[in-house]
Amino acid sequence: MRRLERIFVSINAAVVIGCLSSMALVVGANVALRYTTNHSLSWADESARYLMIWMTFLGAGLALRQGGHVAITNLHDVMTTKAQRLLRTAIVLILLLFFGFMVFVGWEYMQRAQFQMTPALRLSFRYVYAAIPVGFSLLIVHLLLVAKPFILAGHYIQPDGQSDNLPGPANG
Amino acid sequence: MAEILFISLFVLMVLGLPVAFAMAISVFIAIELGSSYPPIVVVKEMFSGLDSFPLLAVPFFILAAEIMTGGAITQTLLRFASQFVGHLRGGLGYANVISSTMFAGISGSALADAAGPGAMMIRMMEKGGYDRSYAGALTISSAVVGPIIPPSIVMIIYALQDQQVSVGSLFMAGVFPGLLLACGSLVANGFVSWKRDYRSSDPRPSKAEMWRNTVLALPALGLIVLIVGGIRGGIFTPTEASVIAVFYALFCGFFVYRALCLRDLPAIILRAALISAAVLLILGAARAFAWVLVIEGLPQFLAETIISWDLSPILFLLAVNLLMLLFGLFMDPLPGVMILVPILAPISHALGIAPDHFAIIVIVNLTLGLTTPPVGSLIFVVSSAVNLRPAALIREMPPFFLANFIVLMLLTFLPALSTWLPKVSGF
Repeated sequence: MRRLERIFVSINAAVVIGCLSSMALVVGANVALRYTTNHSLSWADESARYLMIWMTFLGAGLALRQGGHVAITNLHDVMTTKAQRLLRTAIVLILLLFFGFMVFVGWEYMQRAQFQMTPALRLSFRYVYAAIPVGFSLLIVHLLLVAKPFILAGHYIQPDGQSDNLPGPANG
Repeated sequence: MAEILFISLFVLMVLGLPVAFAMAISVFIAIELGSSYPPIVVVKEMFSGLDSFPLLAVPFFILAAEIMTGGAITQTLLRFASQFVGHLRGGLGYANVISSTMFAGISGSALADAAGPGAMMIRMMEKGGYDRSYAGALTISSAVVGPIIPPSIVMIIYALQDQQVSVGSLFMAGVFPGLLLACGSLVANGFVSWKRDYRSSDPRPSKAEMWRNTVLALPALGLIVLIVGGIRGGIFTPTEASVIAVFYALFCGFFVYRALCLRDLPAIILRAALISAAVLLILGAARAFAWVLVIEGLPQFLAETIISWDLSPILFLLAVNLLMLLFGLFMDPLPGVMILVPILAPISHALGIAPDHFAIIVIVNLTLGLTTPPVGSLIFVVSSAVNLRPAALIREMPPFFLANFIVLMLLTFLPALSTWLPKVSGF
């Protein structure tokens, strides 16, 4: 089980790394082409945007694991251990409910957009919008995997034992 | 419906749900209970918030900063900064502010500033005889310049909310206000260090060593010159600048500093991707949140009300300062910009306030909100980085609050500080 989890996390991480790297390569290549040959790739901007959308939703679950989503802990900090556990259980339940709802609504939205084509790549929008149901399904899995240590101890544990937390998102 | 929206957001945030999810959930609750819109519209709003080319600059600038710090640039900048001022009274404090300011030209975020070089600087200051809580408070204050001096994540997002400004013009507008904020922290540090007689016994480095440090720091400082120079000269757009910054950082890390190796790269990219994902998720959720306010007609209603008060521009700006400071007590800059700018920016345009000037007021205010309790992300980042209770840090903050407040008032009353550079740059 532990091993399966580790493989799951590494695959998810590899895909997210792939998204960001290819975004940088595509946009970088486009800039280089524009300055050297005055040509640009018509599909570059579009594919970079969609890769960013996929990166966002596929990365959300991993960011959750590492405590990367900012939350306010003022209430939490003044509670007793038992009350804290109850509160964290409530948080997990609310999140699970919300993630499930997003999978459902995201799926519906994807179905509705399947006959629209993206302007440059001529790709069905289904493949863009699939990022939401897929991303939120991953969030459910990640949350279930870390739920026990989170509820009991209030922090997330990395499968490989490292606890290198993100500095909160760089939202300032 | 707007009441349901705000009340559920408040409750969910106090419970401790991550801000992005709290916003999205409250949007769903509000439109379920208060309107006949199907929930699918919310998903559509989230997507349109993310589907934007200029937004690509956000992950790219984050990636460039992560690569730069991975390449041991932090140490180099710290040595460079402290060699000029380290021997003075309060010297390491000055070095903290100066290195934070230089680092602001590499990263676009206050939290990255505080977590990276800030944490390192605190340890250095503690060794030099400073109180740890004072070093922490100084770091919190000096990190504020991160998103004010370009590049800046929050400015990229602001420019998407207000058509009257561009990322380029905001980047230019931030240069002087950022330097001014840094000066504020320098003065406050000078005052406290003089009162407590903080001084370091470290000898001044030799001339040869100073030259070496300077030469080593130049490539790192080259990034800000590249970004500001390239955008100001109209050579490339901010989005292009961001991707050029990524490749410049790779070049520095591999060939100039040689501290980066191929094996570390995946972990660095992953970190940047996850930070970006968290930022972009907040953005998508905040976009849906702001959309509910728009269909409620709240922006228009507020605009009409405020315009009917017939405020003078300066009174309006002071009111905005007050509102932003209050808002900043509880909210982070990103949701703040997403929710408040669509409401307030049109009013400021109607009153004839320069768009760049207004943007700087909003951004500086909301960023200062990161340094204030009860919800100040910078306080939390520093307190967990150096193992101090938030209260200990907050006790040391008043001189910095005062300094930053004075700078804020200067920025409010002297629009030229924000508008001069964009103007001469042709924006």
